[in-house]
Amino acid sequence: MSDTAKTAAKSLPNLKQQPETGPGTPVPAPYPYADAPAFSQTIGSQPEGVPLHACMGLNSCKAADRYGKEGHKDPVTGQMVQNDCAGQGYCATAPAHFCHVQNDCKNQGGCGLYGTAEELSNPGHNDCRSLGSCAVPINAERFSTNGPNQGKSVWARARKVFEEEIWPQTRGELLNKQEMGGLDAKCTLPDTLGPPPEEFQGRGPSYLWISDDNNDRGNMTACGSSGTSGAGGCA
Amino acid sequence: MISDPITQFTAAELKLIEQMNAQLTHDTALAKLKELLQVAVEIELATIPIYLYTYYSIDRTRFSGAHMRETDIFANKAGGAVMSVAVEEMLHMSLSSNILYSLGQMPQLYLRAPQSYPAPLPFHNPQGPKGPNGGTDVRIPLAKLTYEQLWHFLQIEYPEAPDATPQDSDWDSIGQVYSYIRCLIACDHLTDADFTQGPQPHQIQGFNYSPNNTDTVHPSGKFDPWKAAPNPAIPNPPPGSDPLPSASDAAVYSNAADSHAGPAELITIGSKQDAYFAIDTVCDQGEGYSQPGLPTQEYDDQSKSELSHYYKFLTIQAQFDRFEHYVEQLPANPAPPAPVTPTMTEAGLAADKVVFDYPDNPMTADYPTEFQPISNFCNGVFQYMLVLTETLFLVPPEEQKLFFNEGMHRSMIWVLDKYIQGMRKVSIPSGKFAGKSFACTFENLDLGTREASFAALRDLGTAAIAAANTLAAADKTKYGSLASNVTYYVDQTFGVTDGTTKFMPLPDVKDFWNGDTPVSNG
Repeated sequence: MSDTAKTAAKSLPNLKQQPETGPGTPVPAPYPYADAPAFSQTIGSQPEGVPLHACMGLNSCKAADRYGKEGHKDPVTGQMVQNDCAGQGYCATAPAHFCHVQNDCKNQGGCGLYGTAEELSNPGHNDCRSLGSCAVPINAERFSTNGPNQGKSVWARARKVFEEEIWPQTRGELLNKQEMGGLDAKCTLPDTLGPPPEEFQGRGPSYLWISDDNNDRGNMTACGSSGTSGAGGCA
Repeated sequence: MISDPITQFTAAELKLIEQMNAQLTHDTALAKLKELLQVAVEIELATIPIYLYTYYSIDRTRFSGAHMRETDIFANKAGGAVMSVAVEEMLHMSLSSNILYSLGQMPQLYLRAPQSYPAPLPFHNPQGPKGPNGGTDVRIPLAKLTYEQLWHFLQIEYPEAPDATPQDSDWDSIGQVYSYIRCLIACDHLTDADFTQGPQPHQIQGFNYSPNNTDTVHPSGKFDPWKAAPNPAIPNPPPGSDPLPSASDAAVYSNAADSHAGPAELITIGSKQDAYFAIDTVCDQGEGYSQPGLPTQEYDDQSKSELSHYYKFLTIQAQFDRFEHYVEQLPANPAPPAPVTPTMTEAGLAADKVVFDYPDNPMTADYPTEFQPISNFCNGVFQYMLVLTETLFLVPPEEQKLFFNEGMHRSMIWVLDKYIQGMRKVSIPSGKFAGKSFACTFENLDLGTREASFAALRDLGTAAIAAANTLAAADKTKYGSLASNVTYYVDQTFGVTDGTTKFMPLPDVKDFWNGDTPVSNG
């Protein structure tokens, strides 16, 4: 990629002319996620053999989240800690992308903005590269535009699909893999998933958190022109 | 969900069917049907650049969320309405193409968009009802969002008169063309077997279609962008001191999933009945649900969950100041809406910068020389999308979904949409359109044979990057963002990678074509 293209890629979320008041201002005060670790722009190293995923609470193993094995700083104790268990992770480990059909692999698509009723009923649950929907991570404000989940939280749907469909199958596969030595032995694979991080009150990662209290809107963007994605727009 | 019955044949249609039975043979009826379906495909195709051009003249998020002004709310609503219609025109083009393919003939799309603008739709009666300025010319321009342009949209979607005759030319409403097609299908010379000559698994499948997306949605008014979308498993938090709804609560969906005849919106064709269903969906969505002897409705189906294209545009027009004193010759049914408030003016929209000052009917040759390669790539992507659509019929059925996602969706939403949005922020510095916004011209740019079209597009991309970089080198302030945008999306088109960032390219169709001849799809 040319230097110009690199610059473009980096600056993409800011291509949109911003109104004088600034998108999203004023922000809610006080900052509601003071007890959560800061969003990480990079993805930490992952436990061996664990599948990548599209968002918060969709991880299959301890440490399989945004902060990886390095963990995150606990804002209260100041200690570096890992998420405890499957289902408790903070945010996506799949490569971030902006739009429908840009996912690299199975179960790495977000959802909600573009796609069929079938696709939008299955966020984070796609068969293959290019068959997923929409931007990753799945911000809490995002809603489905088609299908039975129309108007409802995409993240909540993703978590439900993960609990009911993906995890039972993935768990079985990972148990086999672990037996064969292909998965970190420390990775516990509970029958029931742990709860997602409580700071987010069952609603998924807010864009306020992803954007570091609206200070870094380049941390993610979602495509679309109606301004309702909750995460800016690509143009 | 209320299912929509097939529209009954009118007396005029029954009379024509009788004539066809008497005068045509199997071969002449089939040939005429194929010919007229290709016309229908080209009519549907012609509407798409017209609607998209106006759509991209609208800045839907100049101010968003809690900061929306009345003009922002209107612009966003108008944008959602226009995109919702454009999406359904793509559906209609697909349905007509599927019927044609079922008869054993490939639909022709590449290089079949209008040659220039203002464009007559194929075989449209050149004179129509009186418009807002008294004119009766039915040619449709490429133009920004204005009251006048919305009239041209109404000309496209004008409801069929109750006593209208089926027409294979000189039609006043598109419904008359489809009426003629229905008669051909119904005549005794053609049987269900004629509609099995192009296998259904190779037709464009329903799993590719979605009635809504984030671009057909618009907010009903100001909203709080920080509120989470509702999780059905937990109660919503109390509104507190912030009375604004979340984006999800404010969302209005212009299209409805049940707005169709037959089993689904995008269906494949294997019988006469399938073809009737497809045609009913096309006509009702465009002009409104109707049955012989009953007034045409403002809705497109019996559930009344989606306005027809005609009424969507009329409702947007009704918010302009000129509507209160309109002189347009509108049909008696459906009755026009009352003026919608708050009232908008074109001057007000321009002052608040929610409509880009797009030129009327631009051609690439009208742009300054250094802008032309950038415009050419835009037109190249548009044409390549038409090649991709034709190629859908050649792709092995089990690969169609992936091909559709990587070809159609990626080229439309990821490349063309963003490329145009980057262009429009640039003011044309000189020439015929000096001071206007840089717009995509949607021309029939020749990419050579279909087999070589992706390679030709690549050459256009290289030229566009070079031109954009030259502009940026001369004036980085004015053209730096344009150069970044052009380079980024050209790179996206071809999957250019630097080893750390991987872009996924559009598919190259060369394996499906031998020159312009389809390689057998088995």
